[in-house]
Amino acid sequence: MPSFEDFKPFIVTGLALGGVYALQGVGIVVLYRATGVLNLAFGAVGAFGALLAWQLINHNGWAQGPAFVVCILFGGVVTLLYGLLFGPPLAARDPLVKAVATLGLALILLGAMSWIWSDKARSMVLPSSNHGFEVSNVLVNYTQVIAFGFAVVITVTTGLFLRFTNLGTAMRALANDREITATLGVPVRRVEAFAWLGSGLLAGAAGLLLSNLVGLDAATLTFLVISSLAATLIARLRSIYVTFIAAIVVGMVNALITPILSISQYRDMTPFVLATVALLVLSGRKNQALTGRAG
Amino acid sequence: MGKRGRTWAALVVVLAVGLAVVLSACGSSNKSNTTAATSGGGAATNAAPAAGDVTKCGTKPGTKATGTPIKLGAIVTKQPGTDFTDGATTAQAYFNCVNDNGGINGHPIQYKYYTEQTDPAQIAGLAHKLIETDKVVGIVGGFSIIECAVDHKYWEGLGIYEIDAGIAPECYGTPNSSAPNMGPRYSSDGAVQAAVRAGAKKIAFDQSNVPGTGYIAAGPAAVTKSLNVPIQQFKDNVPIQDANSIAIKLVQAAGSDGGVVLNFTPPEALKILQAAQQQGLADRVKSWGCSTPCNTDFVAKALGTQWDGKLLVNAELNVTDAPGPQSTLYRAVLKQYGKNVTGGLGSFSQMGFSMAQFVVQALNSIKGEDYSLKSVNTAIKNVKNFKTDILCKPWYYGDAPLHIPNNTDWTTTPNKGKMVIKEQCFPISDADPAIKQVRAIEAKDPSLTGGS
Repeated sequence: MPSFEDFKPFIVTGLALGGVYALQGVGIVVLYRATGVLNLAFGAVGAFGALLAWQLINHNGWAQGPAFVVCILFGGVVTLLYGLLFGPPLAARDPLVKAVATLGLALILLGAMSWIWSDKARSMVLPSSNHGFEVSNVLVNYTQVIAFGFAVVITVTTGLFLRFTNLGTAMRALANDREITATLGVPVRRVEAFAWLGSGLLAGAAGLLLSNLVGLDAATLTFLVISSLAATLIARLRSIYVTFIAAIVVGMVNALITPILSISQYRDMTPFVLATVALLVLSGRKNQALTGRAG
Repeated sequence: MGKRGRTWAALVVVLAVGLAVVLSACGSSNKSNTTAATSGGGAATNAAPAAGDVTKCGTKPGTKATGTPIKLGAIVTKQPGTDFTDGATTAQAYFNCVNDNGGINGHPIQYKYYTEQTDPAQIAGLAHKLIETDKVVGIVGGFSIIECAVDHKYWEGLGIYEIDAGIAPECYGTPNSSAPNMGPRYSSDGAVQAAVRAGAKKIAFDQSNVPGTGYIAAGPAAVTKSLNVPIQQFKDNVPIQDANSIAIKLVQAAGSDGGVVLNFTPPEALKILQAAQQQGLADRVKSWGCSTPCNTDFVAKALGTQWDGKLLVNAELNVTDAPGPQSTLYRAVLKQYGKNVTGGLGSFSQMGFSMAQFVVQALNSIKGEDYSLKSVNTAIKNVKNFKTDILCKPWYYGDAPLHIPNNTDWTTTPNKGKMVIKEQCFPISDADPAIKQVRAIEAKDPSLTGGS
């Protein structure tokens, strides 16, 4: 068993990765609550944005700043367009149908990325990764700080937004009952469009951070969303705060298992195991409550 | 349409136009990406290499071959994420060059290759199709993940001596297969040797967690044992999702006097190396090594200059801007005939070119006009002492239970966005039993490599 000294650097990497999972998770939950769509293309949108930024920097001579902005905006624009075009016709369909439709978008984007950029090795290094500080002999770079800090800020801000603004209240109302909310005069499509846009911007930002923290690889970034989905499932697609905590736990457990060689190679199962355990526990409690009520 | 509807429609149009502008930037730059790939797909490409003369492809410069075609074929992996077609398209380019310059005694080479998606049934079917329907008389220029494993018994039964460049152990461990490269196991051996020479007192060896890793792991284990250097082996799932943690794990395992050696595809190796850089780990071990896949300019460019001279990469083939005659002809052929070689200069096209050269020498050695399956494969088997500056030592086939004619390698390292030679040719350790067996075969018949 490794010593605590051996574990220390993994705490940093776990917090950073968990932070980005949280960022993605919050975006997924907010969109789901407002539109009923579980966006499985979240990772692919971010991956495409990151590769686009890489292209602009390395082949079109763009400065990093504007290219990063394009990456984030790309996420917002593509997601908003998808929401505008496919949201209304699919609005009355089953959530499973809506989710599978976004899987279609993910596969189209993944195919386009493979076609445009092939599988050659490339990288994205954010300027913040070149600077850092030491904590207890562990180097922490500023991208890791941003990843975690940004996740905290976005989670808290989104929570306050949903609670204290008219638009946020409208989103929460939509989550409860779309028909009644529309009857009350809430501009449903405008509210949904805002949710698509905001969620897409988060996808772009998460893609940018992950391209540095994980690697600039289309398939990896596309399917990394699974870890975030696990966090949202633990939160039962309801609470962004629980999503945040679950995402951090997923990232931390995943990282802390790494030096334990006997189980290290199974660590990719972490999101599934945690989600399954959480769902079983929650399901058990619900049954208990129902049984108690019946009795 | 109401006012609100028109507003939304206008918004959609504006967003669509904006997206189109962004994507058109991407589309136009795709061309430059292809250009970049053409100039940097493989090992180092320094400025202005010597211009080659493509008339050297054949024996009758400028005379098109018009006789009965000699049919050759191959099977190549092409699937999402794995495209090995550059070897076959380069072989095709060289055959076209040969055909434009006299062919084989006036006979053009007709080349057909099929792509497969790692489906054994499909691969076996394609092998039968090549022989029974296409009537090919030689299997040359293939590069596949599992073709050797699937087809080697079939080739042996037919008396076919395949010239391929594969990944499966059967490409290097069976009597009817010989490759211009040495495959991941022996390349990992070479990378471990380089890391130890650079001062590593312990090796942390990591590779992707895919079938066949046990076979590869045995090589570095044998090499380090012979060097009295402890080794700790790891397997990590790909695609790697947390490179930072893996980099920390490897550096902790190697220790400050140790070395880390990677055997991954370029994108995965890059993730670990970059994570090590960002975590400040690059200088916390004595040396970093990588097997041949890292030997591409894409990796060197992506890593930046921080790894210059620090990362030791085993190179089974010479750098692509080498000045020798074969390297010069290779570049000339690619320039004039290689429009379909999407990766351009690089290890895959070097292997395709070399394999095509081997078979052309074999065909030219046939007396008379008998280009049957039997005569062609006998000629292929008899190829020996083929001198090429693309390999460290002469290539050969010969009659042997296994073939690893490429068993002497270079070490390269990144240098300002390119891979350059760090160590000249050195023998892969014969502590690896298969290499020991091959050296015994070479010692028994020195004519294979030019001895007497």
